[in-house]
Amino acid sequence: MTMNSKIGRKEFWQSYRRSCSLDASWNYERMQNLAFAYMMIPIIRAVCRTKEEIGRALKRHLEFFSTTPHICTLLVGIMGAMEEANQNDGEFEESSINAVKASLMGPMAGIGDSLIWGTLRVIAAGIAISFSMNGSVAGPVLFFAIINIPCFALRYFCLKQGLQVGTNFLLSMSKTSIMQRLTEGTSILGLMVIGSMVSSMIYFELTMQVGSGDFAQPLQDYFNEIMPGILPLAAFGAMYYLLDRKFKTTTLLAWVFALSVIGKYFGVL
Amino acid sequence: MDTALFQAVVLGLIAFFGYMHSFMGSTMHNRPIIIAPLVGLLFGDLQKGIMIGATLELIWMGAFPIGASNPPDMVSGAIIGTAFAIISNQDTPAAVALAVPIASLVLIFDNMLMTFFIPFLSSKADKYAEEGDFRGVEKMHLIAVLGVKGLLSAIVALGFYLGAPSVTSILSSIPEFVTEGLNVATGLLPAIGFAMLAKMIMNKKLLPFFLLGFLLTSYMKISVLGVALFGVVIAMLVAGADKKIEGGAVDDNEF
Repeated sequence: MTMNSKIGRKEFWQSYRRSCSLDASWNYERMQNLAFAYMMIPIIRAVCRTKEEIGRALKRHLEFFSTTPHICTLLVGIMGAMEEANQNDGEFEESSINAVKASLMGPMAGIGDSLIWGTLRVIAAGIAISFSMNGSVAGPVLFFAIINIPCFALRYFCLKQGLQVGTNFLLSMSKTSIMQRLTEGTSILGLMVIGSMVSSMIYFELTMQVGSGDFAQPLQDYFNEIMPGILPLAAFGAMYYLLDRKFKTTTLLAWVFALSVIGKYFGVL
Repeated sequence: MDTALFQAVVLGLIAFFGYMHSFMGSTMHNRPIIIAPLVGLLFGDLQKGIMIGATLELIWMGAFPIGASNPPDMVSGAIIGTAFAIISNQDTPAAVALAVPIASLVLIFDNMLMTFFIPFLSSKADKYAEEGDFRGVEKMHLIAVLGVKGLLSAIVALGFYLGAPSVTSILSSIPEFVTEGLNVATGLLPAIGFAMLAKMIMNKKLLPFFLLGFLLTSYMKISVLGVALFGVVIAMLVAGADKKIEGGAVDDNEF
């Protein structure tokens, strides 16, 4: 929101509110196109003058779009700044608007998906599940708070930055190594949490007894003496290997169900 | 209104609330860890709802929308699974056995809506756009949102209402080794989710951090929250240190 901008407080908050619906009309043809146009409308309405310009702007923003919903406002801001520049500057190349959008949404989705769906959500779930397993209300409440407090703050920050600096924002971000370090740091954090959950949240025991008479001992105990949690780790390793071999998750689900029931029937598990 | 009908309507409303998460900021309150407790609350067994939610959340840990791939429809699965488990006095395994196939079935229907219905509205929006008609474009978006989410919620309510008599009797006639087998499966299924997640980020350089997290919990019994806090410190040390090394190298070259 620069001094002379037509995009004021009202348009800012309208776009912010509308950006919350980015994934709500998702489709296989153009993905988030309807929602993207929907959240650009307050800005287009403020900036464009003639019916023709409005039409062109609307069509532009009904094109294919796909990025992480929680940070999409960065692009809304950049697009808003560009739409306004397009009106004020006769020399402005109109096609560059969609070119910028198309070139930025991919990298943004890459960072956003692994940051929010891949890391933040996993940490929130990991922490919350340990409460929920004991039946505590703190589980769902913590899950909701850990995800949404940072996400709504991020949504605000992204829109503000996007409008203020337009396309320069991502350029300045990529000059410093912030993005790269953020990705590395969150990957480390995410993997440590996944490692911890593999140990504490996969339940896999072998109840079969080995030995005889007074020396009979569950097979499980032998494995635990080698390393606690070795069976969950093995189960994780097997799944990782099978996914790597391009097995479908639904196939794996079905096999786990089937083998568990069969294993129980023969008393191995 | 009889009880089953009333319960079906309530479940439909919970489903609608869950589906609307993507309209309210992708807040993820469609996840089973939040939706299942809501069902529990309204069906008089909050604790069971919370516990079923935790197990389903673990199983669907690797399920989230990314690019063009859509996860199973967790809302319908979690709601119907939890509701039947509570009204027929069953435990988590029964809820899981219902939730997993239902979620996959409803996704097929949702996929059809996302392939035909919304693109149709989208092409109508193009026409409104040509005329510079804001209202028309807005309307197409809102019809898509309310239409799809309304239809899916109706399926949840209808599925519960029509399935109630038979599902309850089927659940109580399952042999014991099957229920116990399902119990084993619920413990194992999270392995798939964790593997899906790890595949997204794991590489040779990062493998030690995965093992560190595993060992901290296996040997020292540190909770997930504890490991996450250690993780923050280690991430700061490792990702923060990079810059200094690079800076040092640059300085060396200059002089």
